[in-house]
Amino acid sequence: MADSHLQAVKGAKVLMVGAGGIGCELLKTLALSGFEDIHVIDMDTIEVSNLNRQFLFRQSHVGQSKAKVARDAVLKFKPHINIKPYHANVKSPEFNVEFFKQFSVVLNGLDNLDARRHVNRLCLAAQVPLVESGTTGYLGQVTVHVKGKTECYECQPKPTPKSYPVCTITSTPSKFVHCVVWAKDLLFAKLFGDKSQDNDLNIRPSDDGNTSKNPEDVFERSSDENAEKYGRRIHDHVFGYNIELALANDETWKNRKKPRPIYIKDVLPDKSLQRNGHLENCTSEDMPISTMPTLGLKNPQDIWSLVENAEVFLESLRLFIEKRDKDIGNLIFDKDDQLAVEFVTAAANIRASSFGIPLHSLFEAKGIAGNIVHAVATTNAIIAGLIVIEAIKILQCDFHNCRMSYCLEHPSRKMLLMPVEPFEANKSCYVCSEQILLLEINTWTTKLRDFVEKIVRNKLGMNLPIVMHGANLIYEDGDDIEEDIATNYTRNLDKVLAELPSQVTNGTVLTVEDLQQELTCNINIKHREEFDEEKHPDGMVLSGWSGHLNDNKVASNRENDISSAPSAAADAENPDGPDVVPKNLILGAREKYQRWKNLPTPQKIRPRNRTRRIRKILIKLMTATAATTMTMT
Amino acid sequence: MSGGIARGRLAEERKAWRKNHPHGFVAKPETLADGSVNLMIWHCTIPGKQGTDWEGGYFPLTLHFSEDYPSKPPKCKFSPGFFHPNVYPSGTVCLSILNEDTGWRPAITVKQILVGIQDLLDQPNPADPAQTDGYQLFIQDPVEYKRRVRQQSKQYPALV
Repeated sequence: MADSHLQAVKGAKVLMVGAGGIGCELLKTLALSGFEDIHVIDMDTIEVSNLNRQFLFRQSHVGQSKAKVARDAVLKFKPHINIKPYHANVKSPEFNVEFFKQFSVVLNGLDNLDARRHVNRLCLAAQVPLVESGTTGYLGQVTVHVKGKTECYECQPKPTPKSYPVCTITSTPSKFVHCVVWAKDLLFAKLFGDKSQDNDLNIRPSDDGNTSKNPEDVFERSSDENAEKYGRRIHDHVFGYNIELALANDETWKNRKKPRPIYIKDVLPDKSLQRNGHLENCTSEDMPISTMPTLGLKNPQDIWSLVENAEVFLESLRLFIEKRDKDIGNLIFDKDDQLAVEFVTAAANIRASSFGIPLHSLFEAKGIAGNIVHAVATTNAIIAGLIVIEAIKILQCDFHNCRMSYCLEHPSRKMLLMPVEPFEANKSCYVCSEQILLLEINTWTTKLRDFVEKIVRNKLGMNLPIVMHGANLIYEDGDDIEEDIATNYTRNLDKVLAELPSQVTNGTVLTVEDLQQELTCNINIKHREEFDEEKHPDGMVLSGWSGHLNDNKVASNRENDISSAPSAAADAENPDGPDVVPKNLILGAREKYQRWKNLPTPQKIRPRNRTRRIRKILIKLMTATAATTMTMT
Repeated sequence: MSGGIARGRLAEERKAWRKNHPHGFVAKPETLADGSVNLMIWHCTIPGKQGTDWEGGYFPLTLHFSEDYPSKPPKCKFSPGFFHPNVYPSGTVCLSILNEDTGWRPAITVKQILVGIQDLLDQPNPADPAQTDGYQLFIQDPVEYKRRVRQQSKQYPALV
């Protein structure tokens, strides 16, 4: 490694978010690359299913904090470096903008969209470069996000996990996944879940004709009804009777294939199930309760016949009633609950059979029901390596050579890794196009009224302001406000910031808009108690600082950045700096766009067509990397 | 820091609604007991159309927005047990423009949703029934259906 590398690496303080699949590889690679100050956040504890690829963990660690165990494991082979673990959620308030500011770079090894968005916003607010990553099976990617230089994580919409409309699920399934969702979210929830939850399994509020009977009673088991009888009745109700009812609506089936009602007597004519002895008696305490050994089903990758599905359906229902009675009423589907997976597989298959949809194995149904993406350890290792390479470039301020890298399943031009130049920021991105201001204020003594009057109206020149904290409205002004909401706002005005319903404290980011002006600002709140009374009689210091790292490449289309402000960091450390926002900083979005449009085209802007094309290909490849990465054991 | 895209869009929707909204409709973010006002849930009122059996009713409806809004539509719910062929027993409205796979587009506004649901009230879609009660009366017993609708409209008088 070159000296310059080594120096950059030694002096760096890095934050890793996530110590799972990518995280374990990353922590190891960072330590072996010479990093000496690493902070790791992970809220999870170690599970058995992690052990095949999260190699820093052993069986004996199951149940312990991932961040802490990972630290201990790495310190064994690299004892003299500093690794600070946090067993906590990265979204908790302790990890605020101030916290993020202490790092030279943030490295993500996360498994969900929500946390990724959160870290992205904090990195933007704290002006810390972010290296973001994800893997799905053989696919993976590493992207670099530097405010003012590249797009942020949210500049492009991300494919979100698919959800299905109620109508498709309850009435007109056309894919196996619809049947799984029905079995899991409606039937399973109805039978074993919280009774107070809404459930649209039955679309009949009153049972045709038999009005005396509450429709919900169909799912109640009467005291003289044994589990077997109950199971048969439920089976016929949901797979027989309900389908017959649905068939009565001719209009629904005009352009659709009609389903076939399935009754248990046609599938399993025997009154009782034939069991090969009482195998369940010899299962040990540790073994999960399962129908499969009793029914002679061994391979979870086999597709069961309709008869087998019906047997599993009845038997799993019986086992729930007889062995897990105390769980009933508060069960939530869990992919690691063997009996629940068996029940859902069987129910989904019977429904699929009814609707002429191909049946699937338990293994496949479990994957669909649990949103399981099979993880490949090698991909994680490759991605972790790429993260470190990008991090080193960032630490050397070698931004021009930063690349987004995609790891492919099949070689493209004989290569499995595809480097792409980072994209420029999307100018209409809600997250990173907004200006961020810094306000130092005593959050324990300043009332909302003072903030609105002195900052929002006087300094920002707003007329009918709207003040928001995340998705919470704190204040709106205007004659049209609904009475009850207006009463609230009046009450809020006399509260100090830290005591508002949604507390405004150190590190809070407020969004301020105006009803009529095309203007949105984010204000980063910094709690400060001492002010120079002569310079700041109001006890507030507002400074404009923006994503303006001294690189002419992006400065060209950021003309409205304050040219006088030397740099973000310097500004932030200089509370006595300019507290009047330069006019050009608070231009509205439309004005900003106009100004940008009128500028001569900056040479560095790449042909959009090419980038679009590349992006299209990449999005196709990477549709699922935001999904949870888990593995099946 | 939550709700970048959803939050931004909902703030826009709120502004647009405050500036101009159809007469008789109400749409406002939820106020919680502690005094916070949450943009992710809106409490609305849809007036029944004049000249229909729904006239005189002011029907409360709740819109639940997710972090994925506007990529995904909000969930729209009347009170549980609301009488209408295309409303599930839980109150959830079944309507093509609220279905991610069919009619939903991110450009659809809160105003369009509410007006769309108002239209649906008097023009149920028998191809997608969501409750038996409302559906069967609609198909088999128009007189009784009308009576039930009128009765329900009386149950939801204007809030003054």
